Amino acid sequence: MPFSEAVRLALTSLRSSKLRSFLTVLGILIGVSSVIAVVAIIDGLDSYIASRVLELGSKSFSVQKMPDIITSANQWIEMQRRKDVTMDDVEAVRRGCDLCTEVGAMVATSRDVKYGRVRQNDVRIMGVSENFSRIGSIRDLIAGRQLIGEDVENARNSVVIGADLMDAFFGTMEPIGREITIDSRSFRVVGVAERKGSIFGESQDNFVWMPITLFRKYYGSRRSIVIQVEARSMNVFEEAQDQARVVMRVRRHLDYAEPDDFNIETGESILDLWKSATQGIYAATLLVTAISLVVGGVVVMNIMLVSVTERTAEIGVRKALGAKRRDILRQFLVEAVILAGFGGVLGVLGAMAFAAGLSSLLGGMMATEFVAPVRLWAVALAVAVSSAVGLVAGLYPASRAAALDPVAALRAE
Amino acid sequence: MSAEPVAAPAGPLILAEDLWRTYVMGAEEIHALRGVSFAIQPNEYVAIMGPSGSGKSTLMNLIGCLDTPSKGDYVLRGKNVSKMNDDELAEVRNREIGFVFQTFNLLPRASALQNVELPLVYAGIPKEERVARAKRSLEMVDLAARMSHKPNELSGGQRQRVAIARALVMGPSILLADEPTGNLDTTTGNEIMGLFERLQREGNTIILVTHERDIAEHAHRIIFIRDGKIESDERR
Repeated sequence: MPFSEAVRLALTSLRSSKLRSFLTVLGILIGVSSVIAVVAIIDGLDSYIASRVLELGSKSFSVQKMPDIITSANQWIEMQRRKDVTMDDVEAVRRGCDLCTEVGAMVATSRDVKYGRVRQNDVRIMGVSENFSRIGSIRDLIAGRQLIGEDVENARNSVVIGADLMDAFFGTMEPIGREITIDSRSFRVVGVAERKGSIFGESQDNFVWMPITLFRKYYGSRRSIVIQVEARSMNVFEEAQDQARVVMRVRRHLDYAEPDDFNIETGESILDLWKSATQGIYAATLLVTAISLVVGGVVVMNIMLVSVTERTAEIGVRKALGAKRRDILRQFLVEAVILAGFGGVLGVLGAMAFAAGLSSLLGGMMATEFVAPVRLWAVALAVAVSSAVGLVAGLYPASRAAALDPVAALRAE
Repeated sequence: MSAEPVAAPAGPLILAEDLWRTYVMGAEEIHALRGVSFAIQPNEYVAIMGPSGSGKSTLMNLIGCLDTPSKGDYVLRGKNVSKMNDDELAEVRNREIGFVFQTFNLLPRASALQNVELPLVYAGIPKEERVARAKRSLEMVDLAARMSHKPNELSGGQRQRVAIARALVMGPSILLADEPTGNLDTTTGNEIMGLFERLQREGNTIILVTHERDIAEHAHRIIFIRDGKIESDERR
């Protein structure tokens, strides 16, 4: 029997039991769409993180007491013993790094902020040098002015607020010149920063910038400072980091063999960390999802076994009329592969719909573009794998059918 | 083997010599056939009769190449099929045997034409030729007008005629009918028996397996089986 005939036969038989075929296909469909969707989500997350992190500034870095991400309690305790980064360090880096265009300082804490009777909780209060907004990704203002040198030099009472505070306190009112309250001290709003949205539900707009001098006056000068540095260009990014490192090591009197007792963080280092941290999770997720494909295969095998049993008499007739083992084998195998392959194709469509839905949902949540791309290789893989699943799942039922004794099969009614 | 039927070699169409068929049921051996020998010439019309349990179904399975004897030789058109494997037997069935069953055994989801095409499919004959030959076969049983009907849209007699068209479509050496009127009323049964007579006149060899005397009497020779042996073999 030619292959085309087997395909035609399989389609006829699948059409004749539509509900059952659909339910069988459903198992594969779910498996395939979840695999593709997971790949798409992972892909989307990665590129999302990459774009967000690089947005932090591709040629900026920071020198800080502790790394951004601490992986154990012991490490944290150890890091705590390090010397604080001071304003003198900032000054030293500024003088010692000629590849750095901007060297700024930042120190932060978290407080509730009030305006009249409206309270905004857990606002990031940042004491910054006047050049802070020019380091890393530029933050433009939507109203008022940036902090200027005189604000910092004279510890002037002027703050720039994030868009969240603007929304919470002022709405459409004019914010400039209003007084907000932090720890029962009044601060005068001089500017409002543009909105950046959120990363993983963490708002990037819930902050108050004040002159670092003012911050140190109110919140103490013994906090460790984060030195913010902008390198002259991407080409000298590494060298600029090295210059800053040398300055710091000299100031700390570190031996040649001793490790840094401070951290230099870049967008890149955060990205690397993200990737290494999530790779294992991705693999595990994919594996767990792939199990659903196995379940789909079991469904196919089950249905094919039922089908063989139900059609024993038919198999007997076919054999009596001259069907060989391989004819019967092919008939049932093709049926199983078509079932599974069809499930695979539908699964791809399902995954596309899912990815599109997810993109718009997450995009809305993160107030930014989130694209979960359905990769061609994932589609090809899913269809190939589902067909293979059908082949494997169909093999046993089909060989059982092929091995039926025609006399016994004809007796079955 | 070629698709075209070759001229029958001289000698009998079927030569059965000392056929035994033994089934092992647990520790017990059941001899369904105990040394059956006979010869059938081309264009004979033979009925195989016997009560149930006589071994006539077993004999029919051997004649139809659905099964092989435990002992003895079954020579069909000069070829000994006794030692053939499953696939070789399938090929012999496809080319040499036209089965007609009591329950018609048509595929319910296929049209009359598709049912008749089926043996041609397994013979590897291309679609166009298949359709042409199947149509011709349906014309022979006067069912050309019903060829796109599904079995459940046909009467019992029509279904059996589709089955006969299917049996004839490969131009087999033997038309092997197992109780072909068992599921039909008397009038329709007689029509079918008339069709067999016509087919025999047109040169076909017909072997009829039945337990009914008046059906068997349509044949020109009756082989009577009892307890796995030939009790009588009478020509009329």
